[in-house]
Amino acid sequence: MVLRRLSFWIAVGGIILTIATLWGANKKVAPPPPMEAPPQNPYPVTVAAAGIIEAVNENVRIAPPVSGLVTKVYVTVADHVEQGDPLFQLDDRELRAQLQTRTDSLPSAAARIAEQEIRLRDVQDQLKRLQSVTDRRAVSEDDVKRKWHEAEGAKRALIRARADFHLAKTERDEVQAILNRLTVRAPRAATILQVNVRAGEYATVNAIEPLIILGDTETLQVRADIDEVNAPLMVPGSPAVAYLKGFTDKAIPLTFDRIEPYIVPKRSLSGDNRERVDTRVLQVIYRFERPSFPVYVGQQVDVYIERPVEPVSGQDHNRSENGTPPSNISRPLSETEETP
Amino acid sequence: MNYVALKMLFGDRPKYLMLLAGLTFSTMLIVQQGSIFWGLMTWSQSGITNVNAPVWVTDSNINQVEEIKPLADTTVNVVRSVSGVEWAVPLYKGVQRARLRDGNYEQIALVGIESSTLIGRPGKVLDGNIEELRSPDAVAIDQLGVERLGGPENIHLGTTFEINDHRVRVVAIVQTQKSFQNFPFVYTTYERALGVTPEERRKLSYVLASPVSGVSPEELARRIHEQTGLGAFTEDQFGWKTIRWILQNTGIGVNFGTTVLLGFIVGMAISGQTFYLFTVENLPQFGALKAIGASTGMLARMILLQSFTVGSIGYGVGVGLATLFGLTAAGGGRLPFKETWPLLVGVAVALLLICAVSSVISIRKLAKLEPAIVFRG
Repeated sequence: MVLRRLSFWIAVGGIILTIATLWGANKKVAPPPPMEAPPQNPYPVTVAAAGIIEAVNENVRIAPPVSGLVTKVYVTVADHVEQGDPLFQLDDRELRAQLQTRTDSLPSAAARIAEQEIRLRDVQDQLKRLQSVTDRRAVSEDDVKRKWHEAEGAKRALIRARADFHLAKTERDEVQAILNRLTVRAPRAATILQVNVRAGEYATVNAIEPLIILGDTETLQVRADIDEVNAPLMVPGSPAVAYLKGFTDKAIPLTFDRIEPYIVPKRSLSGDNRERVDTRVLQVIYRFERPSFPVYVGQQVDVYIERPVEPVSGQDHNRSENGTPPSNISRPLSETEETP
Repeated sequence: MNYVALKMLFGDRPKYLMLLAGLTFSTMLIVQQGSIFWGLMTWSQSGITNVNAPVWVTDSNINQVEEIKPLADTTVNVVRSVSGVEWAVPLYKGVQRARLRDGNYEQIALVGIESSTLIGRPGKVLDGNIEELRSPDAVAIDQLGVERLGGPENIHLGTTFEINDHRVRVVAIVQTQKSFQNFPFVYTTYERALGVTPEERRKLSYVLASPVSGVSPEELARRIHEQTGLGAFTEDQFGWKTIRWILQNTGIGVNFGTTVLLGFIVGMAISGQTFYLFTVENLPQFGALKAIGASTGMLARMILLQSFTVGSIGYGVGVGLATLFGLTAAGGGRLPFKETWPLLVGVAVALLLICAVSSVISIRKLAKLEPAIVFRG
């Protein structure tokens, strides 16, 4: 009977062990709660979009008129500039040297005019004297004619000297104009958002990165990118809210401004400077009042745009809220190729 | 009568042990193989279970979780536009190479989770602070990664290593479920994952979504699929999809199936034969019982009692041994081993079947038994 008891208790032990192990192991762990509340859709049905905050009338990306060495930057980030204020100075030593040469050539040209004037006066005097002699034997007809020609020549030479002087002045003004162009000025009153250039750097005309970005930061707008797949769902004038990334408890109410009529290839907002083109997006512009917390130009936001519950006539045939399958379903998103 | 039956059973020590051994090892074999099989299947789903999100959205033609077909970035907002979505966040997933300062290389499964919410992060943090993932170059590595990349002396908080020539710094050590490919999991933010991985046209691997209260994950997955044409699966659906793919495309199912079947057949053969011998040897006793008036039905009940008693004990011992194996050899997640209730119930049913079949053979013999056998000597 020892055997019976032993085997019985071993069996009971085995089953208890198994149940205990299973009980502990098979509990499903609940997912950890999100660190911050994820952005939530405030409307019953919505069109979601990725947005970026920008200055109204867009940001101005300043480029140099010609490539050249930057000798002085007049502004720093966050400065306010008026229209025409200098932003930075390109190297102008060569042009200044030219200007000096041109300026210095002016007195010489002016002196030439005076010289020609004196000569003309002299020749005219002589001519007058010759003409005043009535005695044909004392002065030959030929002498008078020659002097007259000489006087006419001197007149023309004076005109030319004056023209030369004018040309020299124009040449000086041209150099001055080109020189002025090397000082890049603000095209309009704005705030400096970014300065990517420092004195001593070489600025090229075709640089990818703008040297200076300026924009009006007093009033801001949100540019919301809606995937072209969802573009028909967008109803102009719909209210919307935006949430800053990682700051999802406070919504920024938005007012509709306009829809950009041209669908553009989406620029990735990943922060990588090599922008990737992956799909096309409809851009919608929303304005907003500055909220109580700070927002900055260039900040990414999640935008939720309300859309009517009833399908919009003429636009929304394929989609319905109750999940009736659209007729042209099964166009997987990953196959919509973009045309860059 | 039952007492007599049990007395007969336990009285014949060698036969009893033989029966018990047959049933025990048969049970143990089936449970152990079944658990290893289920353990492997659990590992194959670790990509899903570690992230722990209600609904997964990806390409509709996807086969399994490790087969990634990247989506366009805007897909997150397309999913957010579906009604019934409470939130939707992007997830990056891919295999990358990590290189340690000593030149050691290791393949890792990189997971990029959305930076502000950190949805998809592992539930259990062993060391450090997972919130620090938001600081520059930060990654979290799992316990397997620590083991693989040289143990706790080499990998601890603050250690730096390279992923695709990008320097990263360990800010947390987390506990994850091992994966089928057995690559360590390394967590970072979605944005950083995009930064350290090679340039590709599309990088978004999955969109994770959650339904608003009142909408079930199944309903949400259906809506997302209908409105966007994307493939949307609940955690369970995606898990089963992965398991189906593995069973269809690898030999694992056939392999373990064969072993389990062998365990069943061998168990049945041994116990059937032993039990039959046991009955034959005890024929005079049964004859005597019949002679004093026991009906065939009563004898059958005795046989069944004997068989189920030894079956239950064998089951208990076998299951216990299998669990012990799991706790010792496969403890701490070194080997894929996972017992489940359905498996244990299935094995119990199989064992009942073995016992029943063995009993039926013996009962047939008893039915034909004549009481006179007692007097033949």
